[in-house]
Amino acid sequence: MNDLRPIIEGILFVSGDEGVSLSQLSEVLVINEDSLVELMDSYMTDYNSDESKGLEMLCYGKRYKLVTKAIAHSYCQKLFEETSGKQFSQAALETLAIIAYKQPVTRVEIEEIRGVSCDMMIRKLLARNLIKEVGRLDTIGKPFLYEVTEDFMDTFSLTSLSELPELPEYQTVSEEGELFY
Amino acid sequence: MEFFVTIEQFEGPLDLMLHLIKEKELDLFDLDINILTQQYVEYIHAMEQMKLDVASEYLLELATLIEYKSKKLLPNEAAELDDNYQQQQEVDLVNRLIEYKKFKEVSIKLDDLYQERNLKFDKPQSEIVNQWIDINENYESTSVYELIKAMNRCLKRFQLSQPYEVNITQKRISIEDRKKQLKINIKKFNEVFALSNTMYDCRDLYEVVITFLAILDLVNENVLSFTIKDDEVYFKKV
Repeated sequence: MNDLRPIIEGILFVSGDEGVSLSQLSEVLVINEDSLVELMDSYMTDYNSDESKGLEMLCYGKRYKLVTKAIAHSYCQKLFEETSGKQFSQAALETLAIIAYKQPVTRVEIEEIRGVSCDMMIRKLLARNLIKEVGRLDTIGKPFLYEVTEDFMDTFSLTSLSELPELPEYQTVSEEGELFY
Repeated sequence: MEFFVTIEQFEGPLDLMLHLIKEKELDLFDLDINILTQQYVEYIHAMEQMKLDVASEYLLELATLIEYKSKKLLPNEAAELDDNYQQQQEVDLVNRLIEYKKFKEVSIKLDDLYQERNLKFDKPQSEIVNQWIDINENYESTSVYELIKAMNRCLKRFQLSQPYEVNITQKRISIEDRKKQLKINIKKFNEVFALSNTMYDCRDLYEVVITFLAILDLVNENVLSFTIKDDEVYFKKV
């Protein structure tokens, strides 16, 4: 099995920012997915613990890819003209957060939480392939349901949605609460 | 007189309310709607004075807040049912604020994750791969008419790629035309000229023959007279 490692590394290098999915890898390497997961897990651990390597193997949103280590970032900035990367606006982050935690979710539900219209924001996020339409809710108007994409997972360093930071817990007040007496 | 302008970017009326609550050190869980409403109204007024467009969402929440407040100010003689209703509205607002606050806070954490990920570069897919065919591509079944359309596009493209059809055929000069040419040519010749002189512009046997026939015609028409001397034919203009 170990002789597959250089092949995998090569495939990941060629795939670049597209990455490869587990099923793609298993098809190409002619190896079943279960043993591939095992192989990839140990390979990733070994690969990422090798301090002499400048690359890191990631698996965000179910796609494996090779990226440079964060340590190289500041040196790369010296080498290349610094252009500030695309930042997310507060509005975009809030909208993404609501979709990620509540998916599948309709536009109206997002707007209820944010208290503002999110139509344009949703279109922008769709265009950036961070969210996708996943059918329609069976109710009046048949509104679209939205979910986050694999690109979202990669953008926010998430292997799965369970890795999302925990929502802060606040005691919601109820009508019987004494707070208003 | 002190004058200061702060234009903070709020993500909507809920964001503004949270800001006011924080600024005035109100307790979100024991919210004094009166103070909040007062602050909110002041803020909206300030926005209007700065000639900022106030989005309709802000005005909607403004109306709601004023409704709460006015109900509170009215003598509480109404039926208990009404009282419950009013309280329910307050609870709703607080819960909405709390719900919004949650996502506002967690979105900051998401941004941290994003910044972290931004430190790691990936590179575009190797260029050569674009020229390969992705074996895993999904082929969706489409109607047969799409196929016909595609075929028509192919045919059109094929036609465009073909060169225009051009037939180049040599047009042979007629005896009549050659006679006209000869009449012009012999004006430049001496009074007496040899047959070979008339053939100076002939390129092949055909033209030689045509020229000869034209000459015979001209002789017949009494334009030229001829004499033969030492295997060469000489002509004389009449």
